[in-house]
Amino acid sequence: MALKRITKELQDLGRDPPAQCSAGPVGDDLFHWQATIIGPNDSPYAGGVFFLTIHFPTDYPFKPPKIGFTTRIYHPNINSNGSICLDILRSQWSPALTISKVLLSICSLLGDPNPDDPLVPEIARIYKTDRARYNTLAKEWTKKYST
Amino acid sequence: MAEANPEPSTADNSTPNTSTTDVKEESNRSPFECNICFDTAHDAVVSKCGHLYCWACIYQWINQKPLNPTCPVCKGAISKDTLTPIYGKSGNQSDPRNEAPPRPQGQREESPQQNTFFGGPFGNELTFQIGIGAFPFGLFTNFGPFNYPGPHGQNRQQQQHPEAEQERTLSKIFIYIAIVFIIWVLY
Repeated sequence: MALKRITKELQDLGRDPPAQCSAGPVGDDLFHWQATIIGPNDSPYAGGVFFLTIHFPTDYPFKPPKIGFTTRIYHPNINSNGSICLDILRSQWSPALTISKVLLSICSLLGDPNPDDPLVPEIARIYKTDRARYNTLAKEWTKKYST
Repeated sequence: MAEANPEPSTADNSTPNTSTTDVKEESNRSPFECNICFDTAHDAVVSKCGHLYCWACIYQWINQKPLNPTCPVCKGAISKDTLTPIYGKSGNQSDPRNEAPPRPQGQREESPQQNTFFGGPFGNELTFQIGIGAFPFGLFTNFGPFNYPGPHGQNRQQQQHPEAEQERTLSKIFIYIAIVFIIWVLY
């Protein structure tokens, strides 16, 4: 079931690729993918290309895929391990969601961080109190790690 | 490739190309895909909010979230009891569910018009009895359905006991005696 569904998602991605995102299997293992997200233009991540790894559990789509950034990013909801704090990847996962939709959600998280549920409290604090500094740091990291 | 284009019209090249792609995509994407496995729904059920699933798929999802199961598409509340099965014409689809229990039953309510006169407790066994209570022998006879052999008449007679056959012959004899008796009383 999982393999069939992953194959279908791969076909759909080829047929109708989402804007700013791409994804596909790394090798022969369809349960391990790599994805890229282009930093949204209206964010300090503009111009950056961010890589992510995707691991599908064997009981996918009943359990969410494990997604993490491999490119470092300065973001209140993404930590230095690349872990993403996003509800649809945990409690709010639904089997009707697809990798395409999840990548779009991550893309919108980049443009619109959620400092009230932070994974890196220090970045969240700066985002809330000193937006200009946050923008500068995020741009610096983008330039340093993802271009 | 203009040469490969079977369209004989003078329309521009892009139009027929897009239309064939659309047809291809439509044939690949059925509107009756399960929202979980993305395959054509097997043993299809539909939620109250109108979202289609395989019974096996939604059963697994509901079992995984026993407290507050939600519709995977719209997050509306769902439960096993509120799912409606969909019955198509062809019933020879192979059953992928071995662990999951069967789909919930459809709930069919009897229309009130169907309870007509003959649907009562007597049914086909309705018989008419004629009795002559004044006669000391307690004379009576039966006119039941088995007195009118229809297409199933022979069957019915074979099912009767031989005693019943004798009783009928007896009652016939008695009714003749009764008629003679009544004529004798009148004249």
